[in-house]
Amino acid sequence: MKGYYGEYGGQFVAETLIDALDELEEAFKRFKKDRYAKKELNDLLKNYAGRPTPLYYAKNLSDYLGCDVYLKREDLLHSGAHKLNNTLGQAILTKFMDKKRIIAETGAGQHGVATATAAALLGIGCVVYMGKVDAERQRPNLLRMRLLGADVRIVEKGSMTLKSAINEALRDWVRNVQNTHYILGSVVGPCPFPEIVAYFQSVIGREARKQILKQAKRLPDCVVACVGGGSNAIGIFKGFLKDDVELIGVEAGGESLELGKHSATLTEGKPGILHGALSYLLQDEFGQVAKVHSISAGLDYPGVGPEHSYLKDTGRVKYGVCFDSEALGGFKVLSRLEGIIPALESAHAVGYVVKNRDYFKGKTVIINISGRGDKDLGIIEALEEEGV
Amino acid sequence: MCKVGIYLVCDYPDRNSFLEAVKLCDGFGVDFLEIGIPFSDPTADGDTIEKAALEVLEREGIDDFYDALKSARKIFSRKLYVMTYANIVYANGIENFAKRFSFIDGVILADVPFRESKRFKDILKKYDIGFVHFVTPETDFETLEKIKSSANDFIYFISIRGTTGGKFELDSDAIERLKKLESSKQDIIVGFGIKTRDDVKKACEYADGIVIGTEVINSLTIGRFDEFLGSVVR
Ligand SMILES: Cc1ncc(COP(=O)(O)O)c(C=O)c1O
Repeated sequence: MKGYYGEYGGQFVAETLIDALDELEEAFKRFKKDRYAKKELNDLLKNYAGRPTPLYYAKNLSDYLGCDVYLKREDLLHSGAHKLNNTLGQAILTKFMDKKRIIAETGAGQHGVATATAAALLGIGCVVYMGKVDAERQRPNLLRMRLLGADVRIVEKGSMTLKSAINEALRDWVRNVQNTHYILGSVVGPCPFPEIVAYFQSVIGREARKQILKQAKRLPDCVVACVGGGSNAIGIFKGFLKDDVELIGVEAGGESLELGKHSATLTEGKPGILHGALSYLLQDEFGQVAKVHSISAGLDYPGVGPEHSYLKDTGRVKYGVCFDSEALGGFKVLSRLEGIIPALESAHAVGYVVKNRDYFKGKTVIINISGRGDKDLGIIEALEEEGV
Repeated sequence: MCKVGIYLVCDYPDRNSFLEAVKLCDGFGVDFLEIGIPFSDPTADGDTIEKAALEVLEREGIDDFYDALKSARKIFSRKLYVMTYANIVYANGIENFAKRFSFIDGVILADVPFRESKRFKDILKKYDIGFVHFVTPETDFETLEKIKSSANDFIYFISIRGTTGGKFELDSDAIERLKKLESSKQDIIVGFGIKTRDDVKKACEYADGIVIGTEVINSLTIGRFDEFLGSVVR
């Protein structure tokens, strides 16, 4: 069925938004056929954003773990994370639709920064919704968004994290749908968002595949990426879906796998409907969305993109968890051994490989370093003060 | 005669006041009730209804809502609808929900547009529960005709672009669509943003009835529901 990945996906939104979703789908179709628009995006990705990002053979980490580790360096993309691949693409779609206003949600602040960046470049006004908890723990990104000219609205309702930010962005969109495009930041939400975001992020996997073939003269055994909504993971997985390569998505195990203390949606959830899509969901027995936790704001979300639910059920992708403490371990290992400070989100992928080092022994592994860790220094400082 | 529907958040502000409000509605001759089962993430609702729903959710779960609805059913003699979000109906199986709530007349799901409605509508129908479709000022005419011909309960016309509690208006896009719906076999009910007698009058020029929600919740919060009801119904 259109807009579905197996049984997952769909368009579970207010009837008022249906017209806007159709319009977006139409614009996306036109974009894919438009040579000039695609060239415009490619020029921006290359000369403005800094693509291709390097694939780096991490020798010290490899020696430490006893396997060959390559890092896909999305942390080196302009504005500090993979998110810009998507916002530059959707900014061009915004122009196609002749919309004069952009809104976005943000958790870690990276998608907010990337949206504010694209909006500044295009000269379009931009409003970003951010939960109060996230605005506090990812303060550097709050300041960056404001410098970039975004109107950041702090959400003080509900969980005050990514979920609340999406709720408010959806409400804004319903009210202003005639002149506003909502740039969703992950492969979540109603169709066609999961498809559009995956399309713009798939540049990561396309590059990584070429790069590893050139550098290692072979395909990797495994590709590992963290999964919040799932956009950096889908982006890199797309390059290897048809190959005999093991794909591993890493979810946030938080403090423990007790409901309320983690965000491991695919590992612990069951199918449900939130934010426009039918997908795995962390929920209580009555269908209320559960409280979740992660040390990383970008992974602290009870839902996940519908394509991941499908990839889990078909068995093509394996999903595992990395707990807060293990992610912090990964964060420190990568900083010390390679001089690369990853985002706490990406540190979950590193921590997963470190904790399963026996499994990865002798293998060739690509880890997607989806973003850089400057934004997280406040969290690290606070933990060190607590003596963790 | 223009029908009047009242939206109440289940068990808001508490069980007694809620059932008291249901009784008043019955006494005032309200034509139908929409009872909101609170959901944790009510993205189609404005601040007022969200706040009320989340307050109730702090202390109650689906079993309480079931009891409250059962009691409401005994008190209220005309049509009784449940308004909620897709996951509340989906989570434990649509069929199980339908079986358990087969005593209600219909279901309104704020995040289920026409194109996603089949899986819900078909199962609910087996239990004689209607499914309410929405039409908005943006609905294209082809979809509008499909909704008109396949509706098995009233059609909910959302006159404004926005969440519940916005300001009521009927622009030319809205009026054009309401005119096309006039020949529908089902009632056309206008909702979202209706607050005053004047709003009611205006909506009733084009529709078979109206629903009031946010203003009802406001009046319940300050304990003046009976006054408010009198001002719009009589
Ligand atoms: C650096 C980084 N990586 C990963 C994520 C998680 O999102 P996704 O799963 O869509 O890649 C975020 C989200 O904020 C992020 O900032």
